[in-house]
Amino acid sequence: MNNSRNSTDNKKEFWKSLEDYNSDPEIQKLKQNEFLEGVTDDFDSSKLSGISRRKFLALLSASAAVTATACTDYRDKGEIVPYNKRPEEILPGIPNFYASTCSGCENNCGILVKTREGRPIKIDGNPDHPINKGKICAKGQASILNLYDPERLTDPTINKSKVDWKKVDDEIISALNIARNNSKEIAIVTETITSPTYLKLLNDFSAKYQGTKIYPIELINDANRRNAWFDFYGTYEYPSVKWDEANIILALDSDFLGSEGNHIEAVEKFTRKREPLNKIDFNRLYAAEGRMSSTGMMADYRLRISPDEQYEFVMALINELVRKGSAISIDSAVQSKIQKYSFSKFEKSAGKDKLNNLVNDFNSNRGKAIVYAGETLSKDVHIAVNLLNEIIGGTLLYDYSRAFKNLAKHSSKEEIEQLIDSINKGNAGVVIHCGVNPVYQLADDFGYASALKKVSTVISLTESENETSAFSHYTLPINNQLESWGDFSSRTGIYSLQQPVISPLFNTRQKEAILLTWINGSSSSYKEDIYHNYLMENFNTEVYAKKNPFTDARTFWLSALHDGVVTFDENVPTSSKMNQSSLLNTKENQKGGYVLHLTNNCFVGDGKFANNGWLQEIPHPVTKIVWDNYAAISPSASKKLNAENNDLVEVSANGHKLTLPVLVQPGMSDTTINIELGYGRTVCGEVGRNVGFNSIKLMSKNFDSSPFIYSNATITKIGGTHKLASTQEHHSLDETFVKDFHRKRNIIREGTVEGYKKNPHFLHKEKEEIFSITREHKYDGAKWAMAIDLNKCTSCGVCVASCNVENNVPVVGKEQVLRGREMQWIRVDRYYSGTPDEPIVSNQPMLCQHCDNAPCENVCPVNATNHSPDGLNQMAYNRCVGTRYCSNNCPYKVRRFNFFNFRDEFADSYYENDLTALVNNPEVTVRSRGVMEKCTFCVQRIMDARSNAIRDGRELKGSDVVTACQQACPSNAIVFGDANDSESEVSKLREHDLAYHVLEELNVKPNVTYLAKLRNTHSEEIA
Amino acid sequence: MSVVDYTKELSVIEGKPPLRSLDDLISKPLETKPDKKFYIALSITLSMLGLFVIGLGLTFWYGIGMWGNNNPVGWAFDIVNFVFWVGIGHAGTLISAILFLFRQKWRTGIARFAEGMTIFAVMTAMLFPLIHVGRPWLDGWLLPYPNQHGIWTNFTSPLLWDVFAVSTYFTVSLIFWYVGLIPDFAVLRERTSGKVKKLTYSIFSLGWRFSNRHWNHYEMVYLILAGFATPLVLSVHTIVSFDFAVSIMPGWHTTIFPPYFVAGAVFSGFAMVQNVLLIIRKIFNYEHIITVDTLDKMNKIMLVTGSMVGYAYAMEFFIAWYSGVEAEQFTFVNRAFGPYAWAYWIMVSCNVISPQLFWIKKIRRSVPVMFVIAVFVNVGMWFERFVIVVSSLSRDYLPSSWAYYKPTYVDFMILIGSFGFFFTFILLFTKALPVVSLAEVKAVVDGAQPSHKDH
Repeated sequence: MNNSRNSTDNKKEFWKSLEDYNSDPEIQKLKQNEFLEGVTDDFDSSKLSGISRRKFLALLSASAAVTATACTDYRDKGEIVPYNKRPEEILPGIPNFYASTCSGCENNCGILVKTREGRPIKIDGNPDHPINKGKICAKGQASILNLYDPERLTDPTINKSKVDWKKVDDEIISALNIARNNSKEIAIVTETITSPTYLKLLNDFSAKYQGTKIYPIELINDANRRNAWFDFYGTYEYPSVKWDEANIILALDSDFLGSEGNHIEAVEKFTRKREPLNKIDFNRLYAAEGRMSSTGMMADYRLRISPDEQYEFVMALINELVRKGSAISIDSAVQSKIQKYSFSKFEKSAGKDKLNNLVNDFNSNRGKAIVYAGETLSKDVHIAVNLLNEIIGGTLLYDYSRAFKNLAKHSSKEEIEQLIDSINKGNAGVVIHCGVNPVYQLADDFGYASALKKVSTVISLTESENETSAFSHYTLPINNQLESWGDFSSRTGIYSLQQPVISPLFNTRQKEAILLTWINGSSSSYKEDIYHNYLMENFNTEVYAKKNPFTDARTFWLSALHDGVVTFDENVPTSSKMNQSSLLNTKENQKGGYVLHLTNNCFVGDGKFANNGWLQEIPHPVTKIVWDNYAAISPSASKKLNAENNDLVEVSANGHKLTLPVLVQPGMSDTTINIELGYGRTVCGEVGRNVGFNSIKLMSKNFDSSPFIYSNATITKIGGTHKLASTQEHHSLDETFVKDFHRKRNIIREGTVEGYKKNPHFLHKEKEEIFSITREHKYDGAKWAMAIDLNKCTSCGVCVASCNVENNVPVVGKEQVLRGREMQWIRVDRYYSGTPDEPIVSNQPMLCQHCDNAPCENVCPVNATNHSPDGLNQMAYNRCVGTRYCSNNCPYKVRRFNFFNFRDEFADSYYENDLTALVNNPEVTVRSRGVMEKCTFCVQRIMDARSNAIRDGRELKGSDVVTACQQACPSNAIVFGDANDSESEVSKLREHDLAYHVLEELNVKPNVTYLAKLRNTHSEEIA
Repeated sequence: MSVVDYTKELSVIEGKPPLRSLDDLISKPLETKPDKKFYIALSITLSMLGLFVIGLGLTFWYGIGMWGNNNPVGWAFDIVNFVFWVGIGHAGTLISAILFLFRQKWRTGIARFAEGMTIFAVMTAMLFPLIHVGRPWLDGWLLPYPNQHGIWTNFTSPLLWDVFAVSTYFTVSLIFWYVGLIPDFAVLRERTSGKVKKLTYSIFSLGWRFSNRHWNHYEMVYLILAGFATPLVLSVHTIVSFDFAVSIMPGWHTTIFPPYFVAGAVFSGFAMVQNVLLIIRKIFNYEHIITVDTLDKMNKIMLVTGSMVGYAYAMEFFIAWYSGVEAEQFTFVNRAFGPYAWAYWIMVSCNVISPQLFWIKKIRRSVPVMFVIAVFVNVGMWFERFVIVVSSLSRDYLPSSWAYYKPTYVDFMILIGSFGFFFTFILLFTKALPVVSLAEVKAVVDGAQPSHKDH
């Protein structure tokens, strides 16, 4: 793309003479002067003023320019050049959308990338994708920033000095040849393989270079589930779950609604059974967990079971349910094994009533109930759960048509040990890291880092420097996913394509193309489209041939690219035969002391997203902490330990130690220590470096049954503090002074399904008309309004991520969050009620309520915030002088003030550069310091929809506008539209029995309606 | 204890000094070179002013983020200081205008100085609305002026009312002060021989010739201006209180605010006047002009206004309870027992408890004790505004947005600096203008006015 611009020779296309063609300096010099010498000599210059006309004009214009610049604050904004030839497909001001696939994790959701004038500015889910259905997680939303990361690698390096690709390729190819010829091992360590073409490529590589071994590794993986499935059913491919058909769900330390597996898909399906609009047909969610997860917050009943007790809990549950009858016959050996377990142990911690309810619910919902174990739980628990689902008929809820495929198994710990062993013995010639960071991700006691030092050729293919590339001789910069070709098939019957939406910004190549060059064995074989062609070829043989459509291959390829996804029938082995005896080898977890539970963080993931400021700054769904991880312990454990929030503790497990701060988390089991993974990166961009604590240091290759669970852990207070930044003050739950304020003030209004069925009007039985002393404004035409269904909100934070990207919300950094200056326009408030041990959690997305009687508007002295005729509370940034009075007078405190120019203030202007500026949405003003800002209801999208309606000559409909948060919400909890249109969904929701406004009594007449949450408990009381 | 004869009017000026000696005494600071003490004092206030300049420089360069303000607490030290200094600026006009209308002769010794203080305090106060905004270079937009954009200011905003109220108050106070100075300028003009001084005094004395007609007009203008200034004393802090009362925040939205704020302003204004006067009186040997009787009367006013403020505190609690509004009730309980309880109890002990000591006559007439109490009152009144502004904002309607406010070093630089700004002007004032009104004092010396008694 940039070839012509970057070319150094100035040879022209048109030339008048050879001198001209060769750019003779003489000619060039002559060209500088408009007239040849002598032409202007007609006048006697001595008679004229000493100043020539040119000089005079020059002086005149110079002085005018100096005066003008001195009197204005004009700053050079750089060169702005209009197109003189319009590029194909690009219409200035009109976005283009391209379907692609996200390779951020192994779920490979379909994405739709919005580009403006050739640059990607927003990633959303691809609505045509059958799995994620137009939704994508927060990581996917915010990953657009990774493309414009200022610390992306720009050129290949050998021992950290820049070189060109040819040199790198030549050296590596010869190293590979030497390794092959000496029959040394060539190890390719790669992330989870979900791409069929990449797999083929790796096989080609292995064929070319004998001795190649592939090691797919992933810090957070589903190996326990897969292996259990294999042991029980004899296949590694396990089905997905029809959450939308389950009446009773028991989640065992599984955050399937928050951070585990394809939670976007799960949330969408799960919340379909949380739809209060028509007939109430709610599912009931039990969560048995030691930590507090997003799923736990959504649960109707929470049972505090620590992760080391899960096995016994499942066995006891099997025992209870088998006694009530089983859908399958149980082997006698298994019978006798399960009979050893009973509920009596859990009656105290989980509550007898809850256990009875659980058993009865399962019993009366056979075929409609499912148990789901978390991916961090041991294989043994998963095996037991597989059996349990057979017993209660949970297998009917398995969806084999969209099973999780297994292209290549993750390397087991034995395989990794073998690799390290062979390195240590000097048998490994080349180690190639493809987009992975094993030095960071593998437990220290593998000794991977020290082993790497013994390898003569270590290669890292990575987008930016990481712990592993620090140990590598060759660091090769690879393309971002938005610059890459690719294909993915992580689920059966689904083949999803990735296409570049921008040409590589830097001198990078995609990792497949690099490997392909090496396979071809010569550096000159590289072409820009080398992998593109390879991919198309494979597509033709694999997909086109299989699908056998009526079109030609080229057309089919293009239409597949357009759609981003191809679906076809694919056979999967159903699990007809089960191996019950696999249960006989299972055993309980080791027990004793505290149990350390390491879990996934839904924003930084396995540390890959650590350098993404947007993700670091989205408040944790449960704790609302940003920019950190911590040891979460229960309130009574904190009392026992005498450690408050922020106090430093030393956690040790299996001989490994880590010092980190405490966070007291209501609802946790008293013996559980929960720490999230992915933090504490040491070699990383500036944003993520040394943020949080590396809990991988606590992992060990010698784990008991799961690498994420360690019993006999200890925790000791060591003195000192580390301040955790939270976007919500931590009010102690038992502080009667401020307890249950959200209920007293009717901020959160809730009911139960039973109560609602009995009396649908329970919420408004005391409703009083509030009269106004001023004349009400009439809204003719559209009036914008939003409704948020609290039954569906899981507090996942995707709306926050989407809003950040759409509205150019700056990153402020931990220090500023500690000062209470986060800038996000939408937040998810979290309230606890109940007791610290058994809290009830309520979540509530909070954003500008666009009040009809907006209290912010009348106090602004300069009219910077005012009301639009269609009911929007608007901000005129240019007019704002920044008195902050509006924010003070906002009862919802949703206004955000630019205390600094945060782009300049954050990490030494980290995000203030020409590259990162490209991420900004050109339709939204980038606010500078001293200006108030807030949610606009995505006014740019309203305007866009309006101009489209005008262009098409039709009425603007409310449904034409989709706000960024609404578009992103995985549970479709947010509905936006025209309140004046009685047919619109939003106006129906506004009239719903469960609809209420927050702080209704202030008569500010907010336009965001909340639908009260119904808890599906057995009683009419909220548990 | 001396027995006071209440049948006789007390002497305002003690010891019946010869009028010329008063002229000499009062104009002495203007006619002598500043001594070392003055320079020491000035260097201190200028250093404080330097902090102000640095603090403002940091704020203008980096943004309001240099302060501790956060999201729920949009206003903190900035507006606390503004209300505090506007409050200080109340005593002057009250003393010179209202007490003048009430024919309180004891005011003559302190009126000039108090008025000067008013001017400087309002000047200090006026800085804060200008500097507290996010984009101070756009301050002009707060004024309604015709412009090509056709954008007008928002007349429903109390901040705009503030602009009018404070600027009107400042203008009228300045004119009032200047009018009172005219005869004194003339006296100084006559006394001086320096060329520049003479020219300056001549210009400012507006050709005053001590003629009967001049006096006649002067008295009339002074009376009219006093009448004009009187409602402003009440209006300015009423309107400042609207900044809070017109909002919908619990703890702000209170109808008691206007009288409560005015009482508080008079309270703090008197305390500040008294603090500074006690020093001036000592240094310049004005003990017979600013007598203990005068101070006693000032202390009584402090006692009254302090009690009014205490009543307002109690009434706020009562109304919060009586209203039945949960958020309102919580705000007040939270003030007394929440995270800012320390500020609340500083406020109560300084503002309500300490002035109650003035019931005791001995304390009322004891210079060191009254000085300390007045300092307490000043501290307490600053904290009163802190409690109102910060504690209400830090915990408002939605518990999710609650946050604790902590000031930064820049906040303190600006707070200290504002005192530097104020006292620098005070110091320059003492060397540039007569701090006691020559004309008025001479008129209230015993025997200066015709009387029926021992004439």
